[in-house]
Amino acid sequence: MSPDSQQDFALAFLSILFEGAPFILLGTLISGFIDVYLPPGTMDRFLPRNRKSAVVVAGLLGAVFPVCECAVVPVIRRLVGKGLPVSCALTYMLAAPIVNPITALSTWKAFQGQGAGMMTCSRLLLGFLVAVAVGLIVMRLPLSAVLKKPLVDSLAEKDAKNAKESGCCGEHSHDHTHHAQAASAANDGDRLVAAFRSAMKDFVDVGVYFAIGVTITALFNTGIAPGANWLDGLAANQTAAPAALMTLAFILSLCSTSDAFIAATLDKFSWGAKLAFLTFGPMMDVKLLFLYQTVLRKRFIVFLAIGLFVAIGAITIFWQHQIFQAR
Amino acid sequence: MNPKLCRILFSLAVLSWGVALLYFHASGRIVKYLAPDFRLIALIGGLGLAVLALFNLLTAGQQVSCGHNHSDGDEAHCHDHENSDIHPLLACVLMVLPLALSVAWTKDEYSAAALSRKGLYDAPQNTSVSFLSAVMPAITREEIEKGHRKTADGFYEFNLLELYFATGDREMQTAMDGLKIETEGRLIEERTRNAKGSRKRLYRLLMSCCAADSRAIPIVLEYGNNPLPTIDENQWVKVAGTMNFPMEEGLLQPILTVDRTVEAEPPFEESFLRNQ
Repeated sequence: MSPDSQQDFALAFLSILFEGAPFILLGTLISGFIDVYLPPGTMDRFLPRNRKSAVVVAGLLGAVFPVCECAVVPVIRRLVGKGLPVSCALTYMLAAPIVNPITALSTWKAFQGQGAGMMTCSRLLLGFLVAVAVGLIVMRLPLSAVLKKPLVDSLAEKDAKNAKESGCCGEHSHDHTHHAQAASAANDGDRLVAAFRSAMKDFVDVGVYFAIGVTITALFNTGIAPGANWLDGLAANQTAAPAALMTLAFILSLCSTSDAFIAATLDKFSWGAKLAFLTFGPMMDVKLLFLYQTVLRKRFIVFLAIGLFVAIGAITIFWQHQIFQAR
Repeated sequence: MNPKLCRILFSLAVLSWGVALLYFHASGRIVKYLAPDFRLIALIGGLGLAVLALFNLLTAGQQVSCGHNHSDGDEAHCHDHENSDIHPLLACVLMVLPLALSVAWTKDEYSAAALSRKGLYDAPQNTSVSFLSAVMPAITREEIEKGHRKTADGFYEFNLLELYFATGDREMQTAMDGLKIETEGRLIEERTRNAKGSRKRLYRLLMSCCAADSRAIPIVLEYGNNPLPTIDENQWVKVAGTMNFPMEEGLLQPILTVDRTVEAEPPFEESFLRNQ
């Protein structure tokens, strides 16, 4: 690497790292405290018993617990371990970075004078619909097809223990009380240390993948110009433009709280293409590709990426024809 | 690996990230990396990471129970809480190495090659942002003169961003064409449409959130028969002259025919910030 390239890489790497690290910390602190303080199955209680309704509600949880895509991965990792159905966890993971007030505000602010209200509503609605659709599909899949093997084994082990304890206590619903009573007996100082250890371990797990993702992003980011020329050439093509911007979103790995400011500057592209950029990016990018590997099977990630790319591309082309052009 | 050693290694890795954030914040260099909205978040993040790391470092040898009831015993359970997918040593290297290299390599600015890739030599109409012009009210020459301070020698003080985006706004061009203005930015060589060698380029960066998403905002400086200034590349300067928007090779260009160029101190906020 030449000295100039080193200098460019370093600036891009550090700026993305500085921007993202606090959000990962927030996510891992929440996940660490969930790990130690939240009894298993608690989150499950907040969701409707009907699985389909639960997936729909999970798609809206980001409005109450706003997190960006970096912070959400460690949180859902713990929530799955705590008994949140995987379909709900994935719906929350995909929807929360988009369906939250911070992202809505930044999108609205960035698109002032460019149909801000329509773009913001379209983004939130499309993000919600796609996430719920993924959740409903995942609901029909076996855990082993979705989650990493160690996580599946850990859940199976916990299920076995719960079954054993249910036999002991008489019925499954006593499990939470059983844990809560045990927890209350523990030393508060010990639990705080355990929570911080768990948070640190989660931070390192996510931080490693984030560092790899940021490294790749910084390398692409500082050499983006030939790609930009190529993108300009595709802007007029209604089918290729959303695909091109989704590819750009994948490479740039921007935070959902700030990506709208970039999308707003892509003035050669249609609203539909920008909507594809704003919906696909928070759900799948280079950095997330690595973060998802802490929870999901590689094969599932590949299918998820392809599915999201095709579905979001098709919907935004339709959206461009039926909604944006009709205005 | 021994759990205590593992905790110490993880703590040091997390601490390195926290220290980097705090160092760049304390030294003021963070302004080159993040937009203001993110700087306080970065400071809090740095403090949080340092606290997390130091807390775990100081309690690394402590035996604790997390409070859950597990028949396998605390040791097994705590192992589950701290068990990682990656070898601890490899995890630390992957976290610390790129950070350490970047801290060593960074000069807090992009090279000319990267600036070129970030739009330094793009024609303005290819990169104009329509929402900026949309929020601007209708402008006349009188309003422009009223809205800008005048220097002692008769030049109106303009922000470089206004000059750049005026190229995509016919109304602004008409009102500003031939106006005597002064603006500031960084001086760099002109590589395009400069056969006579009488031109330089003036630019600043437009940052939305962080340096990675910043873009160059340039205008052309025309020195005509006057000698080019002997000022280092990338040096901050104040230039004054007459503004025009001629069509060159099919592209509308913001060109300032320069009367004077003087070195200047860098402004407090080096990059432009969106929506501010």
